[in-house]
Amino acid sequence: MTDETLTMNSYQVSRRELLRSAACGIGGVALSSMLAGGTEAANPLAVRASHFDASAKRMIFIFLAGGPSQGDLFAPKADISRQHGKSIKSPVGDDGQIRVGVKEFLPMAPVAPVKPRGDAGLMISDLMPSLAGVADELCMLRAVVSDNKAHSPAALQFHTGHIAEARPSMGAWISYGLGTENENLPSFITIHPPGDPRIYGSSFLPAIHQGTPLRVPGNANEAAITDLKDPQAQPVAQRRRLDFLQNMNQRLLSRVKSDAQMEGIIESFELAFRMQAETPELVDLSAESQQTQQLYGIGGGPTDRNGRACLMARRMSEAGVRFVQVTIGGWDHHGDIHNALRGSCAAADKPIGGLISDLKRRGLLEDTLVMISGEFGRTYWSQDLSGKSPIIKHGREHQQESFCTLLAGGGVKPGFVHGETDELGYQPIAGRVHLHDLHATLLHLMGMDHEQLSYPHHGRDFRLTDVFGNVVNEIIA
Amino acid sequence: MRPGHCTILLIGLLICLPAAAASAEDKDRVDDPAAAAFFQEQVLPILKQHCFECHSHQPGKVKGGLVLDSRSGWAKGGENGPAIVERKPDESLLIQAIRYQDLEMPPAGKLPAESIRILEQWVAEGAYDPRVAVVTQKPPAPKSQHWAFRPLRKGAAPRVKNARWTRSAIDRFILARLEDQNLEPVEDADRYTWLRRVSFDLTGLPPTPVEIEAFVTDDSRRARETVVDRLLASRAYGERWARHWLDLVGYADQVGTSNNVFAQFAWRYRDYVIDALNNDKPFDRFIREQVAGDLLPYESVQQRAENLVATGFLVLGDIEIVEADKEKLLVDIADQQVRKVSKAMLALTVDCARCHDHKFDPITQRDYYAMAGFFHGTSTVYKTDRGVWSDVHLLDLPESTSQQAEREASQASHAEKIAASKAERTQAQQRVAELAEQLKDSELPKEERDKLTAERDKANGRIGQLNREIPHAEFFAPTVPRTHGVQDKQQPVDMRITIRGNPRALGDTVSRGFLSVLSGELPDIPADQSGREQLANWLTSPDNPLTARVTVNRVWQKLFGEGLVQTVDYFGLPGATPSHPELLDYLANGFIRDGWSQKRLIRSLVLSRTYQLASLHDERCHEVDPSNSLLWRMRRFRLDAEALRDAMIFVSGKLKASSGGPALPLEFPENVGGLSPTDVNPPSFNILKWRPGQELERTIYLPIIRSGSQPGPAQLRNVFDFPQPSEFAGRRATTAVPTQALFLMNSPVVREQAVSLAARMQTEAESDPERLQLLWLVLLNRPITEPEREETLTFLKQAGDQAWTELCHAVLASNEFLMRL
Repeated sequence: MTDETLTMNSYQVSRRELLRSAACGIGGVALSSMLAGGTEAANPLAVRASHFDASAKRMIFIFLAGGPSQGDLFAPKADISRQHGKSIKSPVGDDGQIRVGVKEFLPMAPVAPVKPRGDAGLMISDLMPSLAGVADELCMLRAVVSDNKAHSPAALQFHTGHIAEARPSMGAWISYGLGTENENLPSFITIHPPGDPRIYGSSFLPAIHQGTPLRVPGNANEAAITDLKDPQAQPVAQRRRLDFLQNMNQRLLSRVKSDAQMEGIIESFELAFRMQAETPELVDLSAESQQTQQLYGIGGGPTDRNGRACLMARRMSEAGVRFVQVTIGGWDHHGDIHNALRGSCAAADKPIGGLISDLKRRGLLEDTLVMISGEFGRTYWSQDLSGKSPIIKHGREHQQESFCTLLAGGGVKPGFVHGETDELGYQPIAGRVHLHDLHATLLHLMGMDHEQLSYPHHGRDFRLTDVFGNVVNEIIA
Repeated sequence: MRPGHCTILLIGLLICLPAAAASAEDKDRVDDPAAAAFFQEQVLPILKQHCFECHSHQPGKVKGGLVLDSRSGWAKGGENGPAIVERKPDESLLIQAIRYQDLEMPPAGKLPAESIRILEQWVAEGAYDPRVAVVTQKPPAPKSQHWAFRPLRKGAAPRVKNARWTRSAIDRFILARLEDQNLEPVEDADRYTWLRRVSFDLTGLPPTPVEIEAFVTDDSRRARETVVDRLLASRAYGERWARHWLDLVGYADQVGTSNNVFAQFAWRYRDYVIDALNNDKPFDRFIREQVAGDLLPYESVQQRAENLVATGFLVLGDIEIVEADKEKLLVDIADQQVRKVSKAMLALTVDCARCHDHKFDPITQRDYYAMAGFFHGTSTVYKTDRGVWSDVHLLDLPESTSQQAEREASQASHAEKIAASKAERTQAQQRVAELAEQLKDSELPKEERDKLTAERDKANGRIGQLNREIPHAEFFAPTVPRTHGVQDKQQPVDMRITIRGNPRALGDTVSRGFLSVLSGELPDIPADQSGREQLANWLTSPDNPLTARVTVNRVWQKLFGEGLVQTVDYFGLPGATPSHPELLDYLANGFIRDGWSQKRLIRSLVLSRTYQLASLHDERCHEVDPSNSLLWRMRRFRLDAEALRDAMIFVSGKLKASSGGPALPLEFPENVGGLSPTDVNPPSFNILKWRPGQELERTIYLPIIRSGSQPGPAQLRNVFDFPQPSEFAGRRATTAVPTQALFLMNSPVVREQAVSLAARMQTEAESDPERLQLLWLVLLNRPITEPEREETLTFLKQAGDQAWTELCHAVLASNEFLMRL
């Protein structure tokens, strides 16, 4: 604990950062969530001191939307393979849930060999060779638990802690807690975001903390950020127009003497203008060497899109964006998982493995926390939606009772495994980590106490972890 | 029900308490996870499997008067007395019965020895049963001293020193507080600023140059009243204020929570709200219709239809429809409705008490279930035959004879069209078959073959088109008018406390009723009704001071930038305290006295001297009251998404009037997919084509997607703090983020308006100086100043070919246009 330790509701900006921000931009004070009463503008994105020394300064979250099968990829079970295709007694209690396509419980062996990798021997599937290559960097949580079986609520909970209500996303909380390190960029960027904007929303937090959606341009006509370019006017003309309107704004401001909202809008135009200049350069991947691009699988083929997204994430992160998310979909394998999982891995493995090795060789992994996870996992027994396929064509049902989440860098133990489930890979028997615990741990690694990081709303202080959450100390290096 | 009932209930509760409270040792075990796990995992399954069939609260399942699905059940016992004596298995009737000592339970056969042992152990260890911890809630709260729960006070406006400044009682309340602090309000706003302010506030649109001219040259004493009456009488008033109400409803053209389905008739509710406000429907009536319209008496077919449409309030937007566990689904829906009603009408978070007594407010868990009971007795959704999906009820609306005739005619002609399309398809298919036959002839000359092939391809193309059009026409065939709404269940019953919201862990039954802090009485509810009518009456009754306070406070906020209570959606203990409590009550009383007329309320507020104040800074006032809570000046704020978009289109001269109707243009087959009834939730849609001119209608008429970006012309909502339909927000966030600036700088939508506006300036004025005068009047609603004119003329010279478009673009993005001062 240092002098800079602060309670989260009375931020102060460290002296160094104050000097730094005063030196940048117009007035150095930027965007404001406006209080109509005329409260003085404070920069909600100014860098704020953490509660305690952080091991991670920034975070990248690779969201594997759909629910990747942990039994096939990371945590095979001998019992399951032994009983492959044989009907077993239901391991699932009468919980009132309808199960589609699971008439009898048929354990299904992994679709490809899963082997120990690296010095630490983490189990990783042959389908993920690139990830296997960085196994010694990974910290594998094998008994993560969440509360809902359906995609949308589960994804919402993974990001916000809550199943149904709109609450701030973890990226927004982290932005709110720590601010941004680059005043030319937003502090939370979400690449190829899922459709539901609540997943990257700021809810009741000031909107400046919400994720700015970004797509990786597929061609020269596509913009990474909506309206980032002026399609009508040359930069000179645009600047002339902007100067004219800022001049009008200044005149109005001097007429009313003081107005936080007006100042906020004036600043937002300048940040937008700087983003126009900074972002295209950042999203221009051609600046990267051929070798780096290959590392991510860029250059056509199934890995191209995700490779670009992951490389973009590294560039954003490197440029000081506090929280970057990349969403890679295609993991919802209810049928024919033998083929389908191969396809999904082929598109995701190299980009993800490439990102981790790239961060490592640049010395960024040390203080960049990487998380790779779906919103839930899948059952170790099979699912057959048609009701008459042979097991080779079966898929797997959603499973939120236990699944795997991978972490790397940012102060987690490398080459480490935490948590265990029962012989059917269903219920946790050791090292259970509920999403609330995971969130508490992520905040801890970023230097924040999840019980202190709160925001007053509707008469009470809200937290990412609600009233739950315990830091998983076992995985912290 | 009579006063005093509550006391009886209380005594009943107290009687249960000794058994429930048990020994101090047991109390310590309340949080004992081992005992809880033992109960949940070992004991409860046995009770559930073997006992509940005859001994639970389900109707007809209380054999021998004994229930075992709550702690108080076995503590009180049945006809033979308490079923369990804690720590004394041998003396416990339940244990004796399962041992087949005297009674023989369960009658179907003796339990396995292991099960008997578990129950014995459970009783021996004190019969830990968490299902009781909930039942022993503290008794209903005593009358709270919190300001919001106190009855409305009747008080006259205070005396002030500078009475000449005041125009109405409202001004005296405001001035008195300023004088207390030795402050004076700033000067009045000039006429231009006032007119722009009142026009935006009342209609969401700026005044036109003609209106400006009329007002600034009107010397009569009633000049302002003339303006206000004109604005209140315009259709634009309802279009503006309906949106404020829809913000509290989570209104969208879809329903759902995690998943969404098309709400085909949501627009009827939106139009209902617009009409209700334009007709100045008494606000108490407006509320009663939305909570219980289906139960209210009616005098005409039209009134009945309106009443049914109004209940859309309870079902549109945030409603759970996908949940495999149907019991959970129903308690979740009731929860959502409690949340909506308590927030929109009472500015409370009653839903906090679902799992425990409210942490801050005198709202008990019992209060929650008393209120949730009204909605649990209400049917909102039905199970569809698609997997785990449910959907919101579609109610048939009554029709007048002429409406019926018109509808039948359109149905008939629609059916004819479908039949014609099908006949055409059959014909085309036959022709294709014939052609295929002819083409089999290998000796066909090339010319002939090409001709036949071309004809076949054309026919196939047409078949493909018809294959899309016919299912579309069938899906969207005209029907009896319908609406999304609720109806009472067949046999509404009181709700039981669900422990931590788990519909299977049940506590005591709670009679339907109101918040005990405000009302000690239980309503008389007819046996076959949900009681929503009684709830609706209570919400708008003199006993309940909240609804009127909450409503006038929200209206105040929309006109003055902040509420007299700043937390407009939360009047609970940790919420803000009123800055002018006497004024709040004065307004609430006046509102009720004026027959809950929103128009009269608004009229009195905007004609006050306080509303007329300039928004200028004053150093001395700022020092004493930096947040301007005493209202020494008017507050400035940025236009919201709707006003901003509507104003941009309005000033370019293109805004198109609309009379409502369906928002989503799904009449175009190209916008619609997945029409098959076997699809998960038909139809899926992606708007590729808009109705001609739809992009120029006011924002309130554009579609609202529940979760996802707002489409097409509605996209401005994505950028300017439009509240997600999953949130109920009486007060919108106002942010200044770079994505907004990027939109204003670079979006083709803004550019288009700039181009139209520039064209309008070219045609409506002769010279650049005249055009500038007009532009300032149209956009900023005031004359241009001399320095501005000079500067702008210089800009026009430098800005090249596109100079006028560039200028219009710049002014459209300027703070003075974006804000209302």
